[in-house]
Amino acid sequence: MKKLFLWFFPGLIVGAILILGSGKALRMTSTNDYCVSCHIHPMADVSWKRSVHYDTQSGYRVACIECHLPPEGHGYLWAKGKTGLRDLWSKWTKDSASFNWEDRKRLEVARGYVYESSCIKCHENLFPAKLSKEGEDAHLYYTQTKKTKELHCINCHLNAGHYIEGYTHGSNSTFGKTSSAVKEIFTEPVKVSEFKNFTEQIPNSPVSFNMVAIPGGKFKMGSPAGEPFRKEDEGPVREVEISPFFMAEIEVSWDEYLAFYTQTAAEGRSTDTEGVRKNVAKETDAISGATPPYGQPDQGWGMGKRPAISFSYHAAETYCKWLTSVTGKTYRLPTEAEWEYACRAGSETPYFFPGDPKKFEKTGIKAKISKNDTAVINTYVIFKGNSPTKTQLPDRVKPNPFGLKNMAGNVAEFCSDWYKEDAYAQYPQGIVRDPKGPEEGTEHVVRGGSFLSTAGVLRSAARDYSRTESWLKTDPQMPKSMWWYSDCFNVGFRVVCEFDEKTGNL
Amino acid sequence: MKNSSISRRNFLGKAATVGVAGMVVPTIITGCSRDTKKVVEVPTMLDQAPDGPVLKAGVIGCGGRGTGAAINFLSAGPNLQIVALGDTFQDRIDSCRETIKKQKGQEVPLENCFVGFDAYQKVIDSGVDIIITATPPFFRPEIVAAAVQAKKHVFAEKPVCVDPVGARSIMATAKKAEGMGLSIVTGTQRRHQRDYVAAWQQVKQGVIGDITSANVYWNGGKLWHRDPNPEWSEMEYMIRNWVNWTWLSGDHIVEQHVHNLDVANWFTGLHPVKAVGFGSRLRRVTGDQYDNFSVDFTFENGIHVHSMCRQINGCVNNVSERIQGTKGSTDCHSTILDLAGNEVWKYQYPLDKDGKPGNSVKVDPYVQEHIDLVTAIRTGKPINELENTGISTMAAIMGRISAYTGKEVTYEEMMNSDLKLGPKVFEMGPVDVSKEVPIAGLAYVPTK
Repeated sequence: MKKLFLWFFPGLIVGAILILGSGKALRMTSTNDYCVSCHIHPMADVSWKRSVHYDTQSGYRVACIECHLPPEGHGYLWAKGKTGLRDLWSKWTKDSASFNWEDRKRLEVARGYVYESSCIKCHENLFPAKLSKEGEDAHLYYTQTKKTKELHCINCHLNAGHYIEGYTHGSNSTFGKTSSAVKEIFTEPVKVSEFKNFTEQIPNSPVSFNMVAIPGGKFKMGSPAGEPFRKEDEGPVREVEISPFFMAEIEVSWDEYLAFYTQTAAEGRSTDTEGVRKNVAKETDAISGATPPYGQPDQGWGMGKRPAISFSYHAAETYCKWLTSVTGKTYRLPTEAEWEYACRAGSETPYFFPGDPKKFEKTGIKAKISKNDTAVINTYVIFKGNSPTKTQLPDRVKPNPFGLKNMAGNVAEFCSDWYKEDAYAQYPQGIVRDPKGPEEGTEHVVRGGSFLSTAGVLRSAARDYSRTESWLKTDPQMPKSMWWYSDCFNVGFRVVCEFDEKTGNL
Repeated sequence: MKNSSISRRNFLGKAATVGVAGMVVPTIITGCSRDTKKVVEVPTMLDQAPDGPVLKAGVIGCGGRGTGAAINFLSAGPNLQIVALGDTFQDRIDSCRETIKKQKGQEVPLENCFVGFDAYQKVIDSGVDIIITATPPFFRPEIVAAAVQAKKHVFAEKPVCVDPVGARSIMATAKKAEGMGLSIVTGTQRRHQRDYVAAWQQVKQGVIGDITSANVYWNGGKLWHRDPNPEWSEMEYMIRNWVNWTWLSGDHIVEQHVHNLDVANWFTGLHPVKAVGFGSRLRRVTGDQYDNFSVDFTFENGIHVHSMCRQINGCVNNVSERIQGTKGSTDCHSTILDLAGNEVWKYQYPLDKDGKPGNSVKVDPYVQEHIDLVTAIRTGKPINELENTGISTMAAIMGRISAYTGKEVTYEEMMNSDLKLGPKVFEMGPVDVSKEVPIAGLAYVPTK
């Protein structure tokens, strides 16, 4: 019976294709009108009509199937059959209003619905006469490096077929330049003389932000063997003692980051590598800041108090140095131990709020029969369950017991430690005091989940690390930017301020 | 329906079988390839370009080689004209114009002679079909890009760039030219030398087996130099003495030895991925270049190619290539030997003037490359050597940087490097570039 079914099912599909293959049916089901008759999700039609593929220079209108199906001879019929069956199934059994269309616009998802072979079929010449310098470099990179498999045309040309408001994949030299209404400009940083919460003021800007006094103490770093979703690098659990420090209530916001960017930004890119590198090596007086980004660093989600994203680890470190110099305090990235201590805020459970990871993120059969129980987690974290497509403003969530917001989510956060899987095992015996991580490494620790994360990744002990190469995948500049990641928009950072002689620790 | 007697299940079952059969057939076909002797076609090389409507060329860079290339071009066939000249210096234009008049009887109109750093664009815009450019290599990427943008065919002398930024620009320009159906020949004249082409054909047909290694040499004497002149600005001095300054020539491994490195790339069909080399400056009189290099190149398939070049008088000289294969070896033009040293192939050179066996090809390769260019244009079958020469030049640049720095240099690193030589300002005055001779182990290391 099973064998019979095995024969029957491919037979059904092939048979269906053969019947469809009568030509006319095939053509009828390939028109734009036919596509649009089912694809009723908002804006599919409208955004296509606003795109460059609708209003082409040659006057040719690129049809739905020319991107969303492969060209004939590249598995066209098979893909058409498969896509058609899937669409019919969805049309009959699902409610299109329940889909998260925003989520489906994301590059990762879009890659599944746009055929690179179709792009190449029309865009035979990747080096047209009008191609810009950046385009030349990018297309050379695409055609000549062996990494091209992970690069799809839409990695850079996501808006080709459907218009995206504010999308740019080009040099963005005006970024951060638009200033809003005139506000009070701080002339002095705030003075801190005792160990309690304070509000820092960034001189020569209207920007201020809250710093929370985190009392020193001991805690168990890492997760016990039985914790759901635990990974090997979260152990062994170590007892760690942390000295008092201040930590920012929220992740560094666009307001804060742009204060840095506008006060230090370098005018355009320098091609004088030698000079640039010399400055970096010297690390002298003046801080030379970020060059303009390539593309839209805020992804068009808005700025203000939303966490800053897309900047590099180097930029985060430089931001801290700059903040130190303009405030006269000692700002830096948190160590991984400080971060986890602050996140746990005394808790030894998977999260700083009550709840079982397995209920927040059901797996296997449980996921099929019941929905995730997210009532509690929703109030504390921005994550995939409540904002799968973008960052949110910090006031959407409740703070942890220390008063810190979004430690577990919204954006993941850089720590100053080098990442090593067995970092905890390498610490000396006994209680570890203020550990700073491995001596050397290639990527830095990234902690806390993001708006893209599922509940398991949001646990206080979960560890991750930067991925410099893939985060710069589509940056066509040579060399790639040291200030902006072209392909990472769910990592930010949070500053800590040392409790030292400059902040009242006499 | 007529075939209603066929049961539904039967029909679908058959349909399924047809589908499966359809998938199997191509596999069987591809499994049938026979082991026949490979025949590799080479392009026919004419003794003269075919006739056609007048082709007008403009020369950018009117020094010795630019003038030579202009004469070679005019010798390639009928109805060819040089109608515009451009150079940084008036005296160069005058001498070039004079030579063309004397040797070929053509008079370039004075209003089409342009002097200055922007002369190239004026030549391009002067109504020519072809651009012949032989400026110092530093200027090549910009000039070739502008020529292609204006849809001109190009003869561009090797090397085609001096740094990674230039090399990438050349590669992109090559692809743009390809899209426009333009022809570009690049002064790597061994590719137009009939004995080299014949030997290449033999190698491609497997006569020496798989290539296992190669040695390429340009060990020769000192080239030339000019001493500073109090009447010249530093810029004028540097440009007049360009073969001794790295930012202008790329150093002699790039400027001259690229010929031999190009042969290694051409015969293997591959390019280096890694270079480790050394070199020094022993007797060079002016400028900032070395006068000897020795570089070990690792190619894409892991084979090693050793390269040597020297510009010092009074030493043993050797300008050649030698390629070793599993079944034999070749000097890449005249001879193929088997592993025991027996001659298994020899190029049949035409008899010389006295009727004795000669050792040079029928048509001077410096003219042949122009014949091939004009033939490509007139027959509508474009040839485009720019990308290959860009890659060969990049290989030479890798060797240079490795010797200068003492570090290993990879092709990938070069493809991502923003190293751009030369000053930012071009005017007859002081030149803001380093004039230090690089010292291995200390010099700037280009990184990703």
